[in-house]
Amino acid sequence: MLKAERINLRRRWPALAAVAVVLLLAAFLLLWQTVGVARDRVWDHIQTSGQWLVGMDPSFPPFQDLDEAGQPVGFDVDLTRAIAAHWGVEAQIEGLGFDGLVDAVQAGRLDSAISALPYQPERTEDVAFSDAYFEAGLVLVTPTGSIGVASVDDLAGRRLAVEWGSEGDVQARLLRRRFPDVVLLPSDTPQAALLAVAEGQADAALVDHISALQFTASDARLAISPQVVVSDPYVIVLPRKAPVLQQQVGEALQALQADGTLDALTTRWFGTTSPMRVGSP
Amino acid sequence: MPGLHVRGHVGRILPALRRRRRAVLLALLTLLAVVIILSLQSRPSVTVGPQQTVVTANPKMGVHTRLTDEVEEWKIKRTLEMVREMGAPWIVEYFPWAYVEPDRPGQGEWEHSDMVIRHASAQGLEVIARLGYVPPWARPKDTSPLYLDEDYYAAFGDYVYEFVRRYRDEVNHIIIWNEPNLSLEWGYRPVDPASYAEMLRVAYTRAKEANPGVLVLGGALAPTLAPPGSEWGMDDLIYLQAMYDAGAAPYFDVLAAHAYGGKFPPDEPAAADAINFARTELLREIMVQNGDGDKPIMITEGGWNDHPRWTRAVRPGQRIDYTLRAYDKALADWPWLEAVALWAFRYPAPARTYQDYFTFVTPDFQPKAIYLEAQRYAQGRED
Repeated sequence: MLKAERINLRRRWPALAAVAVVLLLAAFLLLWQTVGVARDRVWDHIQTSGQWLVGMDPSFPPFQDLDEAGQPVGFDVDLTRAIAAHWGVEAQIEGLGFDGLVDAVQAGRLDSAISALPYQPERTEDVAFSDAYFEAGLVLVTPTGSIGVASVDDLAGRRLAVEWGSEGDVQARLLRRRFPDVVLLPSDTPQAALLAVAEGQADAALVDHISALQFTASDARLAISPQVVVSDPYVIVLPRKAPVLQQQVGEALQALQADGTLDALTTRWFGTTSPMRVGSP
Repeated sequence: MPGLHVRGHVGRILPALRRRRRAVLLALLTLLAVVIILSLQSRPSVTVGPQQTVVTANPKMGVHTRLTDEVEEWKIKRTLEMVREMGAPWIVEYFPWAYVEPDRPGQGEWEHSDMVIRHASAQGLEVIARLGYVPPWARPKDTSPLYLDEDYYAAFGDYVYEFVRRYRDEVNHIIIWNEPNLSLEWGYRPVDPASYAEMLRVAYTRAKEANPGVLVLGGALAPTLAPPGSEWGMDDLIYLQAMYDAGAAPYFDVLAAHAYGGKFPPDEPAAADAINFARTELLREIMVQNGDGDKPIMITEGGWNDHPRWTRAVRPGQRIDYTLRAYDKALADWPWLEAVALWAFRYPAPARTYQDYFTFVTPDFQPKAIYLEAQRYAQGRED
């Protein structure tokens, strides 16, 4: 090396050292972040303890209720246990008011919440949500074998039964802007709206999926249209910084969907199957 | 010659510098114009619009709005337009002291309040202003904004004075505090009717100094069956009597009442051990017993909820039926009642709790069925 080059390098040494430090720091941060993302203390704890702590409000049958012995029963209870069994752990269910469940997951008091909870887009900075495991939104119910009304687009000139004041009522009023000749038949309850269709007083009913399933389970005169009119998916609430748990819940739901467990739960708790498919909210 | 050389050099450089300066100036001006245009585009101006009046078959209809945390002016305007279009002439709205004087007494950050009052007035609505919410400087550290020591009643009185004076042409009714019979609303302290009576005295005196014509509403008690000695609160009927015992009568012109129906219809008879809409009649009886029968009552919160899971909720159709019957009852059966402002017209964002099912309109301004039915009722339509 020439003397002049050595002098030049000596002059540049502080700048080169600074660049090296910055590069090292960046590499360290990248590594730390990658390792940090992959770590999931909630999932680790579930694995080491063999327990998955799930909160639910047992006051909403058939999703959650208490049996005569005071034990939680229902669709969500069975779903929780099925997911836990899929992982080889035990589900530990803790009762909590539905209004506090999301906050309890956010605060780290629960590993998850499964309680017929809807997807809440404005809470995605606080918690994570799974794919939907049940669709509770508005559906169209028509007489079995009816070919005239397959969707809301076919309602022009039809008689539509709704529960007065419900979301179905609101949507039906909006629909009348498109089809002014839709005849609205308000009833006191969703069951009364469905009965009106079964007895031929209405051509279709616009009601929530839960009411529709419960009614059609015992009355073969009606069928649920497979296309949801307004979606209201039920999802599992998960901690935001639990990427492995989120992934595991997603995979478990897919597996339970694929092997027919979700359909079996619907049959068990509603007495019938649903034509509705669920997935990402 | 060196001098000539310099002059020649400068002679070449100066025009270039001037050209560059002009170019920079032009660029800056262009940038400024772009910024101004963009800022004008991103902030659409909201006009107040022409003076409106509320057309209604029931002049006692009202709602409690929730504009305190509504930032965008067009949303404030749209909310109040929809109240007017529903046919409700009365609104109750909260004007927190801590928002106007967040850091020091007399700070006077009135922009948001001005906006709400301006639009409410333009829509022809009668505002019942609820005053409270203590700024940090007027309470000990780590206390709730609902905590106010008697040492600071005078400071609160100053806020009441400034509020009433500022809006003397627009606001004729103010409510002093909210639900002081609940520990939560009394800064998590044991409730104290005598201290609330003193707060009323201070606030009433200052309000009348600012505008002798303003009507001061006291009470706004939470309907509760809290047993004696409860740490959570005091039975509203007992609290009201205690207010009278503490000498509160001269310091309120109107009693504010909260009338929630729970699962009961509005015609369910009143009973001391039941919380229902008609409990308002029991408050009225206490007023009469204390020689205050000439004073009116205004319901400043109340109504029914139609959440599918909440244990105190009713079906959506029942909620509509009960609400319209409640408005009707106020008009037909309760001559001593001047307004029924039900909770709550609209929230700025979904609460995602049972609270969402008290509202008439969704956060994105979709009218619920109850809104449409109340509108039809106010229009006197039977169809």
